[in-house]
Amino acid sequence: MPDIDVLVVGAGPAGSIAAREAARASHGLEVVLLERDRAVGAPVRCAEGVGDAGLREFASPEGAPWAARKITRVIFLAPDDTEVQVAERDVGWILDRTRFDAMLAAEAVAAGADLQVGTEATGMTREVDGRWAVAVHGPDGRAVYRARVVIGADGVETMVGRWAGLDTRVPARDMESCAQYVVQGIDFDPDAIYLQFGDGIAPGGYAWIFPKGDGVANVGLGIVALKSDGRNARAYLDAWIARRYPRGARTGVTVGGVIVHTTIKQTYGDGILVAGDAAHMINPLSGGGIVNAMKAGRLAGRTAAAAICAGDTSADRLAAYHHDWMQLLGDDHLKYYRIKQALERLDDAFFNGLARTVNAIPREKRTLGRIFAQALVKHPQLIPVAARFFI
Amino acid sequence: MPAARAAEVAVVDLDVCDRCGLCLPLCPPEAIHLDLTALVVDRTACTGCRKCVAPCPVGALAMIPA
Repeated sequence: MPDIDVLVVGAGPAGSIAAREAARASHGLEVVLLERDRAVGAPVRCAEGVGDAGLREFASPEGAPWAARKITRVIFLAPDDTEVQVAERDVGWILDRTRFDAMLAAEAVAAGADLQVGTEATGMTREVDGRWAVAVHGPDGRAVYRARVVIGADGVETMVGRWAGLDTRVPARDMESCAQYVVQGIDFDPDAIYLQFGDGIAPGGYAWIFPKGDGVANVGLGIVALKSDGRNARAYLDAWIARRYPRGARTGVTVGGVIVHTTIKQTYGDGILVAGDAAHMINPLSGGGIVNAMKAGRLAGRTAAAAICAGDTSADRLAAYHHDWMQLLGDDHLKYYRIKQALERLDDAFFNGLARTVNAIPREKRTLGRIFAQALVKHPQLIPVAARFFI
Repeated sequence: MPAARAAEVAVVDLDVCDRCGLCLPLCPPEAIHLDLTALVVDRTACTGCRKCVAPCPVGALAMIPA
Protein backbone atom coordinates (compact mmCIF):
# COMPACT_ATOMS: atom_id res chain seq x y z
CA MET A 1 0.00 0.00 0.00
CA PRO A 2 2.33 2.77 -1.23
CA ASP A 3 2.02 6.25 0.29
CA ILE A 4 2.34 8.92 -2.40
CA ASP A 5 1.71 12.64 -2.65
CA VAL A 6 -0.40 13.12 -5.77
CA LEU A 7 -2.43 10.54 -7.67
CA VAL A 8 -3.70 11.73 -11.05
CA VAL A 9 -6.45 9.60 -12.59
CA GLY A 10 -6.50 9.81 -16.40
CA ALA A 11 -3.60 10.59 -18.75
CA GLY A 12 -5.40 12.87 -21.18
CA PRO A 13 -4.36 16.53 -21.59
CA ALA A 14 -5.69 17.56 -18.14
CA GLY A 15 -4.09 14.66 -16.27
CA SER A 16 -0.70 14.69 -17.96
CA ILE A 17 -0.28 18.44 -17.51
CA ALA A 18 -1.43 18.16 -13.87
CA ALA A 19 1.11 15.40 -13.21
CA ARG A 20 3.86 17.31 -15.02
CA GLU A 21 3.21 20.52 -13.11
CA ALA A 22 2.94 18.81 -9.72
CA ALA A 23 6.22 16.96 -10.31
CA ARG A 24 7.98 20.09 -11.55
CA ALA A 25 6.71 22.22 -8.67
CA SER A 26 8.63 20.25 -6.08
CA HIS A 27 11.21 17.59 -6.91
CA GLY A 28 10.58 15.58 -3.78
CA LEU A 29 6.90 14.95 -4.54
CA GLU A 30 5.82 11.45 -5.49
CA VAL A 31 3.35 11.75 -8.34
CA VAL A 32 1.58 8.77 -9.95
CA LEU A 33 -0.36 9.12 -13.21
CA LEU A 34 -2.91 6.39 -14.00
CA GLU A 35 -4.18 5.55 -17.50
CA ARG A 36 -6.98 3.02 -17.89
CA ASP A 37 -6.19 2.18 -21.52
CA ARG A 38 -3.16 0.12 -22.44
CA ALA A 39 -1.58 3.07 -24.25
CA VAL A 40 -1.90 6.80 -23.65
CA GLY A 41 -3.79 8.56 -26.45
CA ALA A 42 -5.85 5.67 -27.83
CA PRO A 43 -8.68 5.35 -28.59
CA VAL A 44 -9.14 8.92 -29.82
CA ARG A 45 -12.54 10.40 -28.90
CA CYS A 46 -12.03 13.87 -30.27
CA ALA A 47 -12.27 16.06 -33.37
CA GLU A 48 -8.65 17.07 -32.59
CA GLY A 49 -8.94 20.83 -33.24
CA VAL A 50 -7.23 23.43 -31.00
CA GLY A 51 -6.78 27.18 -31.12
CA ASP A 52 -3.29 28.48 -31.92
CA ALA A 53 -2.75 30.79 -28.93
CA GLY A 54 -3.99 28.33 -26.32
CA LEU A 55 -1.89 25.49 -27.69
CA ARG A 56 1.29 27.59 -27.65
CA GLU A 57 1.07 28.04 -23.89
CA PHE A 58 1.95 24.35 -23.66
CA ALA A 59 3.79 23.23 -26.77
CA SER A 60 5.21 24.57 -30.03
CA PRO A 61 3.42 23.00 -33.02
CA GLU A 62 5.81 23.89 -35.89
CA GLY A 63 7.21 20.67 -37.33
CA ALA A 64 5.94 18.63 -34.39
CA PRO A 65 4.93 15.04 -35.24
CA TRP A 66 1.73 15.49 -33.21
CA ALA A 67 0.54 18.47 -35.30
CA ALA A 68 -1.35 17.04 -38.29
CA ARG A 69 -2.38 20.27 -39.98
CA LYS A 70 -2.21 24.03 -39.59
CA ILE A 71 -5.56 25.81 -40.05
CA THR A 72 -5.76 29.36 -41.42
CA ARG A 73 -9.43 29.65 -42.39
CA VAL A 74 -12.85 28.95 -40.89
CA ILE A 75 -15.71 28.31 -43.30
CA PHE A 76 -19.20 28.37 -41.87
CA LEU A 77 -21.88 26.60 -43.88
CA ALA A 78 -25.42 27.87 -43.41
CA PRO A 79 -28.20 25.26 -43.28
CA ASP A 80 -28.81 25.86 -47.02
CA ASP A 81 -25.07 25.28 -47.79
CA THR A 82 -24.22 28.99 -48.28
CA GLU A 83 -20.49 29.26 -47.51
CA VAL A 84 -19.19 32.07 -45.29
CA GLN A 85 -15.47 32.51 -44.75
CA VAL A 86 -14.88 34.48 -41.56
CA ALA A 87 -11.20 34.40 -40.65
CA GLU A 88 -7.83 34.27 -42.32
CA ARG A 89 -4.96 34.18 -39.84
CA ASP A 90 -3.41 31.77 -37.35
CA VAL A 91 -6.64 30.03 -36.48
CA GLY A 92 -5.38 26.79 -35.02
CA TRP A 93 -4.19 23.25 -35.52
CA ILE A 94 -5.58 19.79 -36.07
CA LEU A 95 -3.70 17.48 -33.74
CA ASP A 96 -2.82 13.84 -33.92
CA ARG A 97 -4.22 13.18 -30.44
CA THR A 98 -2.57 9.77 -30.11
CA ARG A 99 0.86 11.36 -30.54
CA PHE A 100 -0.03 14.58 -28.73
CA ASP A 101 -1.29 12.80 -25.61
CA ALA A 102 1.75 10.51 -25.64
CA MET A 103 4.03 13.56 -25.84
CA LEU A 104 2.31 15.21 -22.86
CA ALA A 105 2.49 12.00 -20.79
CA ALA A 106 6.19 11.67 -21.67
CA GLU A 107 6.74 15.21 -20.36
CA ALA A 108 5.06 14.23 -17.09
CA VAL A 109 7.36 11.21 -16.83
CA ALA A 110 10.41 13.34 -17.65
CA ALA A 111 9.39 15.69 -14.83
CA GLY A 112 9.40 12.73 -12.43
CA ALA A 113 5.85 11.34 -12.49
CA ASP A 114 5.31 7.58 -12.46
CA LEU A 115 2.98 6.61 -15.35
CA GLN A 116 0.98 3.40 -14.94
CA VAL A 117 -0.85 2.34 -18.11
CA GLY A 118 -3.56 -0.31 -18.35
CA THR A 119 -4.39 0.60 -14.78
CA GLU A 120 -7.87 1.55 -13.65
CA ALA A 121 -8.96 3.21 -10.41
CA THR A 122 -11.83 1.10 -9.05
CA GLY A 123 -12.83 3.04 -5.95
CA MET A 124 -11.57 5.31 -3.20
CA THR A 125 -12.20 6.02 0.46
CA ARG A 126 -10.90 8.68 2.82
CA GLU A 127 -8.71 7.46 5.67
CA VAL A 128 -8.52 8.85 9.20
CA ASP A 129 -5.17 10.53 8.49
CA GLY A 130 -6.78 12.51 5.65
CA ARG A 131 -5.28 10.55 2.77
CA TRP A 132 -7.38 9.01 0.02
CA ALA A 133 -6.96 5.24 -0.34
CA VAL A 134 -7.47 4.60 -4.05
CA ALA A 135 -7.91 0.99 -5.17
CA VAL A 136 -6.41 0.27 -8.59
CA HIS A 137 -6.42 -2.72 -10.91
CA GLY A 138 -3.60 -3.10 -13.42
CA PRO A 139 -1.31 -5.56 -15.20
CA ASP A 140 0.29 -6.53 -11.87
CA GLY A 141 -3.05 -7.12 -10.17
CA ARG A 142 -4.70 -5.07 -7.50
CA ALA A 143 -3.08 -2.41 -5.32
CA VAL A 144 -4.01 0.57 -3.15
CA TYR A 145 -2.35 3.99 -3.30
CA ARG A 146 -2.64 6.27 -0.29
CA ALA A 147 -2.48 9.78 -1.75
CA ARG A 148 -2.50 13.20 -0.10
CA VAL A 149 -4.27 14.69 -3.12
CA VAL A 150 -6.20 12.92 -5.88
CA ILE A 151 -6.69 14.79 -9.16
CA GLY A 152 -9.63 13.42 -11.14
CA ALA A 153 -8.92 13.95 -14.84
CA ASP A 154 -11.00 10.96 -15.89
CA GLY A 155 -13.12 12.55 -18.55
CA VAL A 156 -16.83 12.84 -19.25
CA GLU A 157 -17.61 9.63 -17.34
CA THR A 158 -15.65 10.73 -14.23
CA MET A 159 -15.84 8.26 -11.40
CA VAL A 160 -13.38 10.16 -9.19
CA GLY A 161 -15.74 13.12 -8.91
CA ARG A 162 -18.56 10.77 -8.01
CA TRP A 163 -16.53 8.89 -5.39
CA ALA A 164 -15.49 12.19 -3.82
CA GLY A 165 -19.13 13.25 -3.52
CA LEU A 166 -19.01 16.02 -6.12
CA ASP A 167 -22.04 16.48 -8.36
CA THR A 168 -20.85 15.82 -11.91
CA ARG A 169 -24.25 15.01 -13.43
CA VAL A 170 -25.43 16.96 -16.46
CA PRO A 171 -28.93 17.74 -17.78
CA ALA A 172 -29.79 16.05 -21.08
CA ARG A 173 -30.19 19.41 -22.88
CA ASP A 174 -26.51 20.15 -22.21
CA MET A 175 -25.10 16.88 -23.52
CA GLU A 176 -24.02 16.72 -27.13
CA SER A 177 -24.00 13.26 -28.61
CA CYS A 178 -21.19 13.07 -31.14
CA ALA A 179 -20.14 10.71 -33.89
CA GLN A 180 -17.18 11.03 -36.25
CA TYR A 181 -15.49 9.15 -39.07
CA VAL A 182 -12.10 9.62 -40.64
CA VAL A 183 -13.12 10.13 -44.27
CA GLN A 184 -10.67 9.69 -47.15
CA GLY A 185 -10.76 10.71 -50.80
CA ILE A 186 -12.87 13.84 -50.40
CA ASP A 187 -12.50 17.34 -51.81
CA PHE A 188 -12.17 20.31 -49.43
CA ASP A 189 -9.86 23.21 -48.62
CA PRO A 190 -7.15 21.53 -46.51
CA ASP A 191 -6.26 24.81 -44.77
CA ALA A 192 -9.81 25.37 -43.49
CA ILE A 193 -12.14 23.90 -40.94
CA TYR A 194 -15.80 23.71 -41.97
CA LEU A 195 -18.69 24.06 -39.55
CA GLN A 196 -22.32 23.55 -40.61
CA PHE A 197 -25.40 24.35 -38.56
CA GLY A 198 -28.98 23.33 -39.17
CA ASP A 199 -31.89 21.61 -37.48
CA GLY A 200 -31.98 18.88 -40.13
CA ILE A 201 -28.19 18.45 -40.08
CA ALA A 202 -27.16 18.55 -36.43
CA PRO A 203 -29.99 19.78 -34.16
CA GLY A 204 -28.60 21.61 -31.12
CA GLY A 205 -25.01 21.24 -32.33
CA TYR A 206 -23.06 21.40 -35.57
CA ALA A 207 -21.33 19.24 -38.12
CA TRP A 208 -17.60 19.62 -38.77
CA ILE A 209 -14.86 18.83 -41.25
CA PHE A 210 -11.39 19.02 -39.67
CA PRO A 211 -8.62 18.28 -42.23
CA LYS A 212 -5.86 15.87 -41.24
CA GLY A 213 -4.13 15.82 -44.63
CA ASP A 214 -4.82 16.00 -48.37
CA GLY A 215 -8.24 14.50 -48.92
CA VAL A 216 -8.40 13.09 -45.38
CA ALA A 217 -10.46 14.67 -42.60
CA ASN A 218 -12.23 14.07 -39.33
CA VAL A 219 -15.87 14.40 -40.36
CA GLY A 220 -18.34 14.42 -37.52
CA LEU A 221 -21.23 16.08 -35.79
CA GLY A 222 -22.83 16.61 -32.42
CA ILE A 223 -26.55 16.70 -31.67
CA VAL A 224 -28.66 17.33 -28.60
CA ALA A 225 -30.84 14.24 -28.40
CA LEU A 226 -33.83 16.18 -27.00
CA LYS A 227 -33.99 18.05 -30.34
CA SER A 228 -33.49 14.98 -32.51
CA ASP A 229 -36.17 13.61 -34.84
CA GLY A 230 -35.60 10.20 -33.25
CA ARG A 231 -32.34 9.33 -34.99
CA ASN A 232 -29.12 8.96 -33.04
CA ALA A 233 -25.92 10.93 -33.73
CA ARG A 234 -24.43 8.25 -35.96
CA ALA A 235 -27.56 8.15 -38.14
CA TYR A 236 -27.45 11.96 -38.58
CA LEU A 237 -23.78 11.71 -39.53
CA ASP A 238 -24.35 8.91 -42.05
CA ALA A 239 -27.04 11.03 -43.71
CA TRP A 240 -24.83 14.14 -43.82
CA ILE A 241 -21.83 12.34 -45.29
CA ALA A 242 -24.03 10.55 -47.83
CA ARG A 243 -25.28 13.96 -49.02
CA ARG A 244 -21.95 15.87 -49.01
CA TYR A 245 -19.42 13.15 -49.74
CA PRO A 246 -21.18 10.18 -51.34
CA ARG A 247 -17.84 8.86 -52.68
CA GLY A 248 -15.82 9.36 -49.46
CA ALA A 249 -14.38 6.24 -47.83
CA ARG A 250 -15.37 6.13 -44.16
CA THR A 251 -13.10 4.46 -41.64
CA GLY A 252 -13.02 4.12 -37.90
CA VAL A 253 -16.20 5.51 -36.34
CA THR A 254 -15.70 7.33 -33.03
CA VAL A 255 -18.50 8.31 -30.66
CA GLY A 256 -18.64 10.26 -27.43
CA GLY A 257 -20.29 12.94 -25.36
CA VAL A 258 -19.37 16.61 -25.12
CA ILE A 259 -20.80 18.44 -22.12
CA VAL A 260 -21.85 21.91 -23.31
CA HIS A 261 -22.69 23.23 -19.88
CA THR A 262 -20.59 25.21 -17.41
CA THR A 263 -18.02 24.25 -14.78
CA ILE A 264 -19.45 22.06 -12.00
CA LYS A 265 -20.41 24.04 -8.89
CA GLN A 266 -17.58 22.63 -6.85
CA THR A 267 -14.39 21.24 -8.40
CA TYR A 268 -12.58 20.45 -5.13
CA GLY A 269 -12.96 18.79 -1.77
CA ASP A 270 -10.70 17.59 1.03
CA GLY A 271 -7.69 16.17 -0.81
CA ILE A 272 -9.47 16.20 -4.17
CA LEU A 273 -9.45 18.25 -7.38
CA VAL A 274 -11.21 17.51 -10.68
CA ALA A 275 -10.07 18.95 -14.00
CA GLY A 276 -10.99 19.00 -17.68
CA ASP A 277 -14.05 17.22 -19.08
CA ALA A 278 -14.59 15.62 -15.65
CA ALA A 279 -15.36 19.09 -14.26
CA HIS A 280 -17.31 20.17 -17.39
CA MET A 281 -14.56 22.67 -18.30
CA ILE A 282 -15.61 22.92 -21.92
CA ASN A 283 -16.41 25.96 -24.03
CA PRO A 284 -20.19 25.51 -24.31
CA LEU A 285 -20.36 27.36 -27.64
CA SER A 286 -17.63 25.49 -29.48
CA GLY A 287 -17.51 22.26 -27.51
CA GLY A 288 -13.72 22.69 -27.37
CA GLY A 289 -12.03 21.15 -24.35
CA ILE A 290 -8.35 20.40 -25.00
CA VAL A 291 -6.81 23.77 -24.10
CA ASN A 292 -9.32 24.21 -21.27
CA ALA A 293 -8.24 20.84 -19.90
CA MET A 294 -4.54 21.73 -20.08
CA LYS A 295 -5.06 25.09 -18.36
CA ALA A 296 -7.10 23.44 -15.61
CA GLY A 297 -4.54 20.64 -15.28
CA ARG A 298 -1.77 23.21 -14.85
CA LEU A 299 -3.72 24.96 -12.08
CA ALA A 300 -4.62 21.65 -10.42
CA GLY A 301 -1.05 20.31 -10.42
CA ARG A 302 0.41 23.51 -9.03
CA THR A 303 -2.33 23.95 -6.43
CA ALA A 304 -1.93 20.35 -5.24
CA ALA A 305 1.86 20.65 -4.97
CA ALA A 306 1.68 23.94 -3.06
CA ALA A 307 -0.94 22.55 -0.68
CA ILE A 308 1.15 19.45 0.06
CA CYS A 309 4.29 21.53 0.63
CA ALA A 310 2.29 23.74 3.04
CA GLY A 311 0.98 20.68 4.88
CA ASP A 312 -2.66 21.59 4.26
CA THR A 313 -4.71 19.68 1.68
CA SER A 314 -8.09 20.64 3.13
CA ALA A 315 -11.01 21.74 0.95
CA ASP A 316 -10.56 25.28 2.27
CA ARG A 317 -7.03 25.42 0.91
CA LEU A 318 -7.83 23.66 -2.40
CA ALA A 319 -10.75 26.05 -3.03
CA ALA A 320 -8.13 28.39 -4.50
CA TYR A 321 -8.08 26.11 -7.55
CA HIS A 322 -11.78 26.65 -8.21
CA HIS A 323 -11.45 30.40 -7.74
CA ASP A 324 -8.44 30.62 -10.08
CA TRP A 325 -10.17 28.51 -12.75
CA MET A 326 -13.33 30.63 -12.68
CA GLN A 327 -11.25 33.77 -13.10
CA LEU A 328 -9.19 32.25 -15.88
CA LEU A 329 -11.99 30.72 -18.00
CA GLY A 330 -14.92 29.46 -15.94
CA ASP A 331 -16.64 32.85 -15.77
CA ASP A 332 -16.25 33.24 -19.56
CA HIS A 333 -17.95 29.87 -20.00
CA LEU A 334 -20.93 31.17 -18.00
CA LYS A 335 -21.25 34.02 -20.53
CA TYR A 336 -20.87 31.68 -23.50
CA TYR A 337 -23.55 29.45 -22.03
CA ARG A 338 -26.00 32.35 -21.95
CA ILE A 339 -25.21 33.10 -25.60
CA LYS A 340 -25.74 29.44 -26.45
CA GLN A 341 -29.17 29.56 -24.83
CA ALA A 342 -30.09 32.67 -26.83
CA LEU A 343 -28.83 31.17 -30.12
CA GLU A 344 -30.96 28.09 -29.54
CA ARG A 345 -34.06 30.19 -30.19
CA LEU A 346 -32.93 31.13 -33.72
CA ASP A 347 -34.03 28.97 -36.66
CA ASP A 348 -32.51 27.82 -39.96
CA ALA A 349 -34.07 30.72 -41.92
CA PHE A 350 -32.27 33.16 -39.61
CA PHE A 351 -28.87 31.54 -40.17
CA ASN A 352 -29.41 31.38 -43.95
CA GLY A 353 -30.20 35.12 -43.91
CA LEU A 354 -27.23 35.93 -41.68
CA ALA A 355 -24.90 34.08 -44.07
CA ARG A 356 -26.07 36.30 -46.95
CA THR A 357 -25.65 39.45 -44.84
CA VAL A 358 -22.08 38.55 -43.96
CA ASN A 359 -21.21 37.57 -47.54
CA ALA A 360 -22.35 41.03 -48.68
CA ILE A 361 -19.42 42.50 -46.69
CA PRO A 362 -16.23 42.37 -48.80
CA ARG A 363 -13.93 39.66 -47.45
CA GLU A 364 -11.05 42.04 -46.73
CA LYS A 365 -13.42 44.18 -44.62
CA ARG A 366 -14.98 41.20 -42.88
CA THR A 367 -13.78 41.93 -39.37
CA LEU A 368 -15.70 40.46 -36.49
CA GLY A 369 -16.79 43.94 -35.37
CA ARG A 370 -18.20 44.80 -38.79
CA ILE A 371 -19.93 41.43 -39.11
CA PHE A 372 -21.47 41.96 -35.70
CA ALA A 373 -22.65 45.51 -36.47
CA GLN A 374 -24.15 44.54 -39.85
CA ALA A 375 -25.77 41.48 -38.37
CA LEU A 376 -27.44 43.49 -35.64
CA VAL A 377 -28.85 45.99 -38.15
CA LYS A 378 -30.21 43.37 -40.55
CA HIS A 379 -31.24 40.77 -37.99
CA PRO A 380 -32.82 42.35 -34.91
CA GLN A 381 -33.41 38.83 -33.56
CA LEU A 382 -29.71 38.93 -32.66
CA ILE A 383 -30.12 41.83 -30.23
CA PRO A 384 -31.08 39.61 -27.28
CA VAL A 385 -28.04 37.43 -28.08
CA ALA A 386 -25.78 40.48 -28.10
CA ALA A 387 -27.37 41.75 -24.90
CA ARG A 388 -26.72 38.47 -23.16
CA PHE A 389 -23.07 38.66 -24.07
CA PHE A 390 -22.67 41.78 -21.96
CA ILE A 391 -24.88 40.72 -19.04
CA MET B 1 -39.24 2.17 3.34
CA PRO B 2 -37.54 1.03 0.12
CA ALA B 3 -38.23 3.06 -3.03
CA ALA B 4 -40.87 1.68 -5.37
CA ARG B 5 -39.39 -0.45 -8.12
CA ALA B 6 -39.23 1.06 -11.57
CA ALA B 7 -41.59 -0.39 -14.19
CA GLU B 8 -38.79 -0.38 -16.75
CA VAL B 9 -35.01 -0.50 -16.50
CA ALA B 10 -32.27 0.37 -18.97
CA VAL B 11 -30.24 -2.37 -20.63
CA VAL B 12 -27.13 -2.02 -22.74
CA ASP B 13 -26.36 -3.97 -25.92
CA LEU B 14 -22.67 -4.68 -25.38
CA ASP B 15 -22.16 -5.56 -29.06
CA VAL B 16 -23.16 -2.01 -30.01
CA CYS B 17 -21.84 -0.01 -27.01
CA ASP B 18 -18.50 1.73 -27.64
CA ARG B 19 -17.95 2.43 -23.92
CA CYS B 20 -17.70 6.18 -24.56
CA GLY B 21 -19.12 7.04 -21.13
CA LEU B 22 -21.59 9.68 -22.36
CA CYS B 23 -24.50 8.12 -20.46
CA LEU B 24 -22.83 8.17 -17.02
CA PRO B 25 -23.30 11.85 -16.14
CA LEU B 26 -26.84 11.77 -17.61
CA CYS B 27 -28.04 9.19 -15.09
CA PRO B 28 -29.73 10.94 -12.11
CA PRO B 29 -29.25 8.02 -9.65
CA GLU B 30 -25.74 7.30 -11.03
CA ALA B 31 -26.80 3.74 -11.84
CA ILE B 32 -24.46 3.34 -14.82
CA HIS B 33 -20.80 2.39 -14.41
CA LEU B 34 -17.91 1.69 -16.73
CA ASP B 35 -15.46 -1.03 -15.86
CA LEU B 36 -12.44 -2.29 -17.78
CA THR B 37 -14.47 -4.29 -20.28
CA ALA B 38 -18.12 -3.26 -20.16
CA LEU B 39 -20.81 -0.72 -19.42
CA VAL B 40 -22.87 -1.87 -16.46
CA VAL B 41 -26.39 -0.75 -15.48
CA ASP B 42 -27.31 -1.35 -11.85
CA ARG B 43 -30.89 -2.58 -12.24
CA THR B 44 -31.68 -2.05 -8.57
CA ALA B 45 -30.68 1.64 -8.81
CA CYS B 46 -32.16 2.44 -12.27
CA THR B 47 -35.39 4.46 -11.92
CA GLY B 48 -36.53 3.91 -15.52
CA CYS B 49 -36.30 7.63 -16.39
CA ARG B 50 -34.99 6.88 -19.95
CA LYS B 51 -32.60 9.87 -19.89
CA CYS B 52 -29.75 7.66 -21.12
CA VAL B 53 -31.57 6.12 -24.11
CA ALA B 54 -31.88 8.80 -26.84
CA PRO B 55 -28.48 10.48 -26.26
CA CYS B 56 -26.52 7.27 -26.91
CA PRO B 57 -24.73 8.07 -30.19
CA VAL B 58 -25.07 4.49 -31.43
CA GLY B 59 -28.39 3.46 -29.88
CA ALA B 60 -26.90 0.89 -27.50
CA LEU B 61 -29.33 1.54 -24.63
CA ALA B 62 -32.97 0.44 -24.48
CA MET B 63 -35.66 -0.05 -21.85
CA ILE B 64 -37.07 -3.43 -20.84
CA PRO B 65 -39.73 -4.34 -18.25
CA ALA B 66 -38.14 -4.55 -14.83
